[in-house]
Amino acid sequence: MPEGQPTNKGWGRALILVYAVFAFSALGRSSVQLLEKAGEAPLAYALSAFAAIVYAVATFCLARPGRRTTPLAWAAVLVELTGVLVVGTLTVVDPELFPDDTVWSRFGSGYGWVPAMLPFLGLAWLWHTRPGRAQRNADSPVSA
Amino acid sequence: MIDPLQTILIVVSLLFAAVAAVHVVLDRPTGGLLLGMAAVLELGFLAQAVIGIGQLVSGNRDVNGVVFGGYLLAAVIFLPLATLWALGERSRGGTAVLVVAGLVLPVLVVRIEQVWAPASA
Repeated sequence: MPEGQPTNKGWGRALILVYAVFAFSALGRSSVQLLEKAGEAPLAYALSAFAAIVYAVATFCLARPGRRTTPLAWAAVLVELTGVLVVGTLTVVDPELFPDDTVWSRFGSGYGWVPAMLPFLGLAWLWHTRPGRAQRNADSPVSA
Repeated sequence: MIDPLQTILIVVSLLFAAVAAVHVVLDRPTGGLLLGMAAVLELGFLAQAVIGIGQLVSGNRDVNGVVFGGYLLAAVIFLPLATLWALGERSRGGTAVLVVAGLVLPVLVVRIEQVWAPASA
């Protein structure tokens, strides 16, 4: 099986830091929400926790590319994309559904829209580093 | 909360991001200038944590201590971890990590100020 370019090299480095920041901030936010006021907005808080896990899995799997982790990184980023699109749309259409904010509320507007852009960058990076491109990257003088 | 320290931290963090961005554009590796700036910034964030926790303990403000302390601590450990992560990649991608770090730090400072003074946020 041809190995792709490692996802934790080159520009992927900066992308992984962004993922790590979101993993930790979502983890922090959801723990505080669940510990201090779980009953107030259970759906929003459960979603915060779910987002935290998705970001954490994406961070770990992008940072440790391998036969098992790279497909998992694809899955996590696709779930992340689905999450931000679905939750983003729901919070715009029916704000009552989520009385308190999550990372994905209103397409991540509270986080400078980064949550809406991040899955696209993640997918672009996974596509760029996918197996089968390694040889072409090695031949190219501009490979990062 | 602690002016002018926090304003300085925001300005220097953004300056750090800008210097790192210039390094990325010119394809220069992370060197003494960036590491020196990171060290100075780190001293500032340590001072922020010490003063902040001091104010939290001595004052009787209605502040969420766990969240406040968590942010202060996060701001202290973030830059060293990001710098180590940056140094693991000796190319533009590594220096780009420092650009991201320099942009995340001001957000942390603003969040610390918001947690400290929710009313004026």
